[in-house]
Amino acid sequence: MDVQTQEKWDRASRTYDFFAAVDDKRLGSEKQKLLAMIRGKTLHVAAGTGNDYKFLPPGMDIVSIDISPKMLERAKIKAAGYRGAIELCEADVHKLDYPEDTFDTIVTVFTFCSVPKPIAGLRELYRVLKPGGQILMLEHVRSTAIGPLGIMMDLMTQLTRKFGPELNRDTVGNVQKAGFWLRRVENIYLDVVRTIEAIKEDV
Amino acid sequence: MLFQIGDYLAGTVIGVGTALIVRVIIWPGMDMVIAMLLGIGFGTIVSLLLGYMLSPMLGIVETMIPGSLTGMYGGMLFAMRDSMAAGSRTMTAAIVVGAVFGIVVTAAMKSYNYVLRGTVMEAGD
Repeated sequence: MDVQTQEKWDRASRTYDFFAAVDDKRLGSEKQKLLAMIRGKTLHVAAGTGNDYKFLPPGMDIVSIDISPKMLERAKIKAAGYRGAIELCEADVHKLDYPEDTFDTIVTVFTFCSVPKPIAGLRELYRVLKPGGQILMLEHVRSTAIGPLGIMMDLMTQLTRKFGPELNRDTVGNVQKAGFWLRRVENIYLDVVRTIEAIKEDV
Repeated sequence: MLFQIGDYLAGTVIGVGTALIVRVIIWPGMDMVIAMLLGIGFGTIVSLLLGYMLSPMLGIVETMIPGSLTGMYGGMLFAMRDSMAAGSRTMTAAIVVGAVFGIVVTAAMKSYNYVLRGTVMEAGD
């Protein structure tokens, strides 16, 4: 377990809802649209304080993991209100205890800006996803369409990575590097907030 | 609708904050390169602080992106103007220029968003 990352997100859990609440209002419909595509046994990576649960379709079988026990404590309260099954687990996405080909769907919401080794984390998700299974992601990434914005994100990441996410990740590229096959990419806000749908090819 | 108004208000506040800090730290005749660097640095810090305070009401991404562009690039431009004594003559004029710059950057980001939003790739394309 990456203790440094765990401590960072334990600290962040105290103010997480304060900053994330408005995102649910502005991006809630996009989250709901993405999560409506969930099917089968689902791994929800980075539970946070459980803010995404209200956007999950009812009656699903969800395993929701997070590296931070403090986040999971808060998520437990919100999971109780979900009309379906949510199992909460403390886990590091770089090394999951699940066997290969376990899940039909994997979901991440603003997660891979904060995973220390994103390609390794995505490869681990690829391992536990069943062939033909899908990964659904809502992520913020580095802007490439607006040059000055991309440069600014590079500079600001030097600061933001100390207490939270990295702003200049190429998550679409990382998904491909991890072995997934892209099904769809959509810009939600500029080319910074994106939904990414990818699958593990059934060979 | 309220979020749209809030975005422009946030842009205004951050633009004004940037213009004010530049006005305080840059004086006419200062070396322009140093002025630009100071403007970028202080403008960025001010925009980050203001953006951080406003983000619980408006969203982190929607506030910080136009806000930090306003701070970084506005700080640079205001500092260049002030160091050449080509800037606003009064503090009120500096505030107005800052506010207009913040609104313009916010509007530009919204226009970019309108253009960029939507499906980028789909299997079978």
